Amino acid sequence: MIRFENVIKYFGNTKALSAIDLEIKHGEFISIVGLSGAGKSTLLKLVTGEERADEGRVLIDDIDIAKVKVSDLPYLRRKIGMVFQDIKLLPKRTAFENVAFAMEVSGHKRDRIEKEVPKILELVGLLHKKHNFPNEMSGGERQRIAIARSLAHRPALLMADEPTGNLDEVNAAEVLDLLLKINKLGTTVILATHASDLVNKIKKRVITIEGGRVVLEQERGRYKL
Amino acid sequence: MFDSLTIFRIVKTGFVNYWRNIWLSAAATMVMTITLVIFSILAIVFGITQFSINQVTDRVDVSVYFKPGTAEGVIEQFASDLKKKPEVSAVTYTSAEDALAAFKATHAQDQLILDSLDELSDNPLPATVQVKADKIEDYPHIAEGIQNGGYKEHISKVNFEDNRLLIERFGKASKLIVVGGSVLVAIFSIIAILVIFNTITLTIYNRKEEVEIMRLVGATNWYIRGPFIIESLLYSVVATIITSALVLALVSKLQSSSLSYISGTGEGNLPLFYPYGQWTYTIPALLLIAILLSVASSMLAIRKYLKI
Ligand SMILES: Nc1ncnc2c1ncn2[C@@H]1O[C@H](COP(=O)(O)OP(=O)(O)OP(=O)(O)O)[C@@H](O)[C@H]1O
Ligand SMILES: [Mg+2]
Repeated sequence: MIRFENVIKYFGNTKALSAIDLEIKHGEFISIVGLSGAGKSTLLKLVTGEERADEGRVLIDDIDIAKVKVSDLPYLRRKIGMVFQDIKLLPKRTAFENVAFAMEVSGHKRDRIEKEVPKILELVGLLHKKHNFPNEMSGGERQRIAIARSLAHRPALLMADEPTGNLDEVNAAEVLDLLLKINKLGTTVILATHASDLVNKIKKRVITIEGGRVVLEQERGRYKL
Repeated sequence: MFDSLTIFRIVKTGFVNYWRNIWLSAAATMVMTITLVIFSILAIVFGITQFSINQVTDRVDVSVYFKPGTAEGVIEQFASDLKKKPEVSAVTYTSAEDALAAFKATHAQDQLILDSLDELSDNPLPATVQVKADKIEDYPHIAEGIQNGGYKEHISKVNFEDNRLLIERFGKASKLIVVGGSVLVAIFSIIAILVIFNTITLTIYNRKEEVEIMRLVGATNWYIRGPFIIESLLYSVVATIITSALVLALVSKLQSSSLSYISGTGEGNLPLFYPYGQWTYTIPALLLIAILLSVASSMLAIRKYLKI
């Protein structure tokens, strides 16, 4: 589904990613682990076209993202669900409205939105909080709303950037279970995190990056560092 | 490219933006209104001076008086010769008899004049030819040509009232109005552009988070830009409505008072957008100006501050 071919990315003089070669298959659950600054977020941003590779290619279903016109990027993004490291929920909108917003933006009809949003909130287990504003929710709940929003347009690929970042063990486990559940329903999931114990538990494919390089690739690996 | 639902959402967000910063929006609308009002007043004053110039110009002609007893054939020949000149637009021949009949008709109430006319054995009025030119500057030349031309011995007098000085003054005044007014319009247009630019920039700033999320979850560029343009269009539309109301009130006042003074009849529409002289052009023209100004400034703000 996604292939990185010898991808290099610079920010000024900083080499954020160097020679990344990686393939992610349909329906896979893959964890990208690494310390802070390793290049995890940058890797994900290359997939949504938010950042562009300086060298090498990033392919989604054999389409080179570098060749996608800027005006067509929105349509690409509608196929991808992204849970941002800094969550990015709108503080003045309720849980329901935050999820609905993403659907509105990509042109869904009102009655479709009215039908879909409760289903998605149900999936993340927060239907009872649909009228609450982000500041009335716990960190874990906010994270799950962000996941709900990323699922709103039924993406084939979900990328979660540090979704357990500020959560305690219980909440982190809940979020992780949710991602596994979404993966079981057929969505490809990429999880970027630095939480070692977390990926150790789930026994899925793990890619370890360090200083912008893949240093370890394990099919059911354990996270070492 | 957009379905109606998307357009509806863009327009709705534009209205919400306008309403959320109602005081800023009011200020932007106000500046736009002032610009349009100045423009309208300029157009009205210019229209009035042009109207006045036309009125005065219309009254200018060259009158040629013929000696009594000149044969009609000669005068007709003279008239047809004149007509052939390219600078001449109209030639009117009034025979002595016609002149007398017209004179009697206008003084039909005045028995004294009629009686004294009857006492004269000959018709005291001369045959006349009135000549009109297309251009005001051709008159002296035409008058001179007649005075020194081949019909000189039949002509008793060539009368040419030189209104050129008056017309020149009107022309100068109207030029001054256009130049001065244009400077004012330009200044206020710039102010309007700056104010709208700042207002839109502020709206963009207020909606920074929303815009970023929209972008990241797959909103098209025009879906993101649209509401800001709608917001600026609202300034134009509201300003045009206010200006139209003000100007219509002003003009209907003017029409009843000063116009009758200028034309002497009190008839006719005030030629606001000379030479069209049509009301139907006024409001669309104002709207067009307003839209150009606001779209220009909102596009500037969007290009500079809306990171897409
Ligand atoms: N927009 C940017 N401008 C300049 N440098 C950047 C930018 N984004 C990332 N970097 C640099 O690129 C490197 C990789 O950053 P990235 O955000 O991908 O790390 P990360 O693995 O996601 O870290 P974290 O776990 O803290 O989120 C870092 O050295 C960072 O400073
Ligand atoms: Mg990161």
